[in-house]
Amino acid sequence: MIDVVFELIIFFVVTLTEAQKKDETIELEDGQHGVVLTPDELPAQHMQIDVAKNGRISMGNVTLLPDEINRRVKEKKARWGEFPILIRADFETPHAAVHRVMDACTSAGIWKLSFMAIGEDKTHERKRIKKVRK
Amino acid sequence: MARRPQENPALDMTPMIDVVFELIIFFVVTIKQEDLYTRLNVNRPAPASSASSSPSDDISVTIEIGRRYDGSAQGVILYNKREVKRAELDQYLREIAHTSTKTPIIVKCDDASPHKALVDVLDICYKNKLYSVSVFSM
Repeated sequence: MIDVVFELIIFFVVTLTEAQKKDETIELEDGQHGVVLTPDELPAQHMQIDVAKNGRISMGNVTLLPDEINRRVKEKKARWGEFPILIRADFETPHAAVHRVMDACTSAGIWKLSFMAIGEDKTHERKRIKKVRK
Repeated sequence: MARRPQENPALDMTPMIDVVFELIIFFVVTIKQEDLYTRLNVNRPAPASSASSSPSDDISVTIEIGRRYDGSAQGVILYNKREVKRAELDQYLREIAHTSTKTPIIVKCDDASPHKALVDVLDICYKNKLYSVSVFSM
């Protein structure tokens, strides 16, 4: 019984931490030629902003307004100096929503932004992109 | 107290099988999550200094992402005011990269175009080792 309980605990810890980090509805576009993201590749103080299909902007699955993004970026910049911002936007997101996020970052003084894409699709969860393309 | 001689010295396999199963399940669950992600870096030009930011001796290349002129499609790639396919753009950018990979690329993106068009264009730039990309929004 202890074995089973441990197993359940590990399972839920793993899935919960994965789920809390990001907006799960986002499907990324392919970008095989970009800089490969590994856990050590980005500095620890980097910031990840999610932009969903419907334009919902979030960080760590908390919905934020562009003004709040701007404030957070400013605060972080005051503490750490320049830091990379990673925008994780859905492939169908209208550019207007990404535009708002980029403006919120640039008006806070961060000019170098990155877009997240998929280098190699190992999970094959994104059947919709392939369907839309072909 | 003298140890009682074991009558059945066979090893009990059950806990080991339990542990092995647990490890297998754990690794299956965690490995399944791993896509390989990449990032495409862009510069965002300052709104006020956009005119002065590009030196005149630099030849920059402008790629537009917007709607087709008759409005029938959104998120098409326009190069020299002409609609191009991804493979064509790749070919043009390869020629540019052959001259200089430091050529600044300016991507003008329409607000209504889907994000995937922008990522596709950036990916083609990266494929041809053109890394100084700026994104303007329209």
